Amino acid sequence: MTLAVQCLNDRTGKGEGRPAFYVMKALFTFQLRIAVFLCLFMVGTLRMAAQNRVELVFAYGSEKEEWINEATAAFNRLGAKTAEGRVIHVQGLPMGSGECMDRVANGSLKANLVSPASGIFIKLANAEVRTRTGKDLVGETENLVLSPVVIAVWKPMAEALGWGSKPVGWSEILSLSKNPDGWGSLQAPQWGQFKLGHTHPEFSNSGLISILAETYAGAGKTAGLSLVDVTRPEVEDFVRGIEGTIVHYGASTGFFGKKMFQQGPGYLSAAVLYENMIIEANSGKYPLPFPVVAIYPKEGTFWSDHPVGVVDAEWNSAEQRRAAKRYVQFLLAPEQQRRALAFGFRPGLVDIPLASPLDKAHGVDPSEPKTTLEVPKPEVIRAVGQLWQKAKKHSRVVLVMDTSGSMNSGGRIENARKGAAQMLRLMKDEDTFSLLAFNARINWAMHSQQLAQGRATAEKTIASLWANGGTALYDAILAAHEDLQKSPDTGKISAVVVLTDGLDTNSKTSLELLMKAIRFDSENNNTRVFTIAYGEDANKAILQQIADATQAKSYSGTPENIESVFKDISTFF
Amino acid sequence: MSDEPKLTLIGKLFLLLILGACATGAWWAFNRHSAAAPGTASGASVASSSASAIPGPSEAVPSGGNASQATLPGAVGSIEIGVAYGTEKKRWLEWAAEEFPKTAAGRGIQVNLIPLGSIEAAQAITGGDKRIDAWTPAADLYTDTFVREFELKHGRPPISQQEQLALTPMVFVSWGERTQPFMVRYKEMTFKTVGEALKASGGWGGIAQKPEWGFYKFAHTHPSQSNSGLMALLLMAYDFHDKTRGLTMADILDPKFQGWMVDIESSVVEFPNSTGNLMKDMVLKGPSSFDCVLVYESVAIDYLKNAEGRWGTLQVTYPRKNLWSNNPYYVLATPWSDSRRQAAATALMKFLISEPAQKMALTHGFRPGNPAVPILFPESPFTTGQKFGLKVDLNGICESPKGEVIHNLLVGWNNNVRPH
Repeated sequence: MTLAVQCLNDRTGKGEGRPAFYVMKALFTFQLRIAVFLCLFMVGTLRMAAQNRVELVFAYGSEKEEWINEATAAFNRLGAKTAEGRVIHVQGLPMGSGECMDRVANGSLKANLVSPASGIFIKLANAEVRTRTGKDLVGETENLVLSPVVIAVWKPMAEALGWGSKPVGWSEILSLSKNPDGWGSLQAPQWGQFKLGHTHPEFSNSGLISILAETYAGAGKTAGLSLVDVTRPEVEDFVRGIEGTIVHYGASTGFFGKKMFQQGPGYLSAAVLYENMIIEANSGKYPLPFPVVAIYPKEGTFWSDHPVGVVDAEWNSAEQRRAAKRYVQFLLAPEQQRRALAFGFRPGLVDIPLASPLDKAHGVDPSEPKTTLEVPKPEVIRAVGQLWQKAKKHSRVVLVMDTSGSMNSGGRIENARKGAAQMLRLMKDEDTFSLLAFNARINWAMHSQQLAQGRATAEKTIASLWANGGTALYDAILAAHEDLQKSPDTGKISAVVVLTDGLDTNSKTSLELLMKAIRFDSENNNTRVFTIAYGEDANKAILQQIADATQAKSYSGTPENIESVFKDISTFF
Repeated sequence: MSDEPKLTLIGKLFLLLILGACATGAWWAFNRHSAAAPGTASGASVASSSASAIPGPSEAVPSGGNASQATLPGAVGSIEIGVAYGTEKKRWLEWAAEEFPKTAAGRGIQVNLIPLGSIEAAQAITGGDKRIDAWTPAADLYTDTFVREFELKHGRPPISQQEQLALTPMVFVSWGERTQPFMVRYKEMTFKTVGEALKASGGWGGIAQKPEWGFYKFAHTHPSQSNSGLMALLLMAYDFHDKTRGLTMADILDPKFQGWMVDIESSVVEFPNSTGNLMKDMVLKGPSSFDCVLVYESVAIDYLKNAEGRWGTLQVTYPRKNLWSNNPYYVLATPWSDSRRQAAATALMKFLISEPAQKMALTHGFRPGNPAVPILFPESPFTTGQKFGLKVDLNGICESPKGEVIHNLLVGWNNNVRPH
């Protein structure tokens, strides 16, 4: 640098006396050029890097998210290349298994490889795509990991059912659910009624598996379930009996597990979960009041076998397909498979023996299940879905909609109307719907209408909402809650869905009084309040508090995502 | 004129030097980026330390249509041949595809392994699949039909040379814990007793007072998609008629046999398309999925150890009548194959029957086709596996029936057994 400065001074002959100024100026000019050059160079480099990569989109069932996240990060760090010399980069997209296969089948998600939680979803998607294109969506698959679907039960309750001394299954749960004394029939009246949770079968693998297992148990079969079986009255009675104990449905198996382990036996006696979730619960992740154990239904269950396969679609190039196979090989390598075992999954690689934490100390039995069920044909699966629609626990829903003046801004009211209409579409004809619109006052726009008759009216009423005035949020929630509680119906799921974009400004009811009135009590006060904090001005903390008090769920909504928020809420009904 | 300072030539050179250094640094960063994920500081070191976890480009790719490759980098006059094979030999052939190019005879020869079921492969070759230079199905059951159809279409015989690579019979594989009560109840494991167990009232409750084991579950592969599935039907036919040779059309069309066969088959849990997948499923999912399967002895041997670490021991039982799968290797003389490719395919065949390759076949559970390679020695799987029921000497070996008998057996199955 000294030499450069010397040269610089020699050239001008004017540096004497003020070389520092010129040096600084020259350096500044130089640095500017270098900066411009480097920016251009970096842009070029990044473009070249992008061109030198093969991107793979991997859509998979969210049950294995933690393991896949870890394994995919390790794979991407390796910098594995295709035969063409391009670096393979995998982007994992965890989602519900049903959603995963639906979106890939209809082309709205251009995934290169998929792994739903169960082969049932591959079978259904292939059947659907084959009717359109004449070929399967996914060809040969390999099992990444395995985990049987089990009934997770608090250990004292499982023992009361006979767990540990005899085979237990759906029939024990049915007789308990039909007994008006509930747990009292098993000398445990202090536990109240038996309460079961499983996910919505149209959105989640474990929900679909639950209703298939219930139907098989009702038909007394383990294979060859037929359309005739599904229409038998005693099978419908069996499914109706089990479904009558449902607390509510939901989109995510993980949500049920988490809620059950956090809220304790007062919230759920049992839930249909994956075996690995029992292991996770008993590994110290939650402060459990009792251990949780896995009941492997004696009538049989299904394996969640996590098949992985390459998508046979025009967007998947030959290079991407080969790259996808490299990635699958990586996931099936011993190192990754051993990590899967640590996450509570049974490895898909036969060379790895089953060991801790797959043991009785973690509430599971590696020698189970003793019996598994045959995956029915696609048309039978669809018929079971229709049977569930008839036999499921239906809902009473009050939609509490903020129509205060602030809802006029940013298209909030328009999008909220669209979201509410979306929820309405997903509700069944047997469900009952009320609409309570509020600003400074509360107005019953529609009250307790069964949707079989009132759907069109409900749609019109929602579409006619407009915004003006203040916000009497607490009064509105209290009114909706009291309306459902004054005529309790344990045969239905009772829920209030609240959408608001601001703070309470006009209520006579205090927050303290509201919380006292709505707090969940499994025997007498079991209406759940789902809340949507719509936009930035809503008080998310208070709305979360309200949802938590009723063991429901709180959402953050925006005009952009509000339809998907309502869709998610509808999976609880 | 500006009175700003100007750079001298040396100054410019100096600055160019710095720019060059920057460019070199950026290029180094780019290369590093290519070798690791963006934003990963330690990508390079992780790549080198974990590289063994992922197979390289020359390593095998699992079945599904893509070829496995064994390349000889830099070989002069290298040639590529495709070998269609039954997946029961997957592990052994993948080893061979790696090792063969390292030999003098295999230098410069790249072997592409193409996994195809027997019928599928025969149809592909007849249909003109130019990737295939050699074919090694599990058995020669389809060979007559293949040769006839190929000659009809191409006007020439398709096989220039052939060799028997290895032998393996069929076996029943069942869980040790459940085999004993089965034997107490039925005394022997045959198609007849398996059929009775499948129909037992109350499943295991009726068989051995074990209702918690559910129904008795038996499986073999799909007869139209997998050679071992066809073997199962043939063994049923030989067993029913209690003969080892001379299976006729009349035997197959016999209504009593058809009724008996359909009765058993309608209770079979599943008909997978690959013997390896069936056995793997049994080991992965345990007795809940299958109590008993009918597979090749070699496939059973490959999985015996794996099962021990999962669900307990497996037990091998030989059917009263049996058939050899002789794993033939055919060098194809197709119109699209030239003498160099046929010579390369022949060289691979010679390698596969050489002593080192035959010893490797034995470790994968095959009985060597080369009589110079012994079967029984202390480390042989046939010695160590005796506790699982493995034995070398077999009785009741049946002959391969004629093509028309096989064809009608399949037609009967397809017409009368529920398709899956």
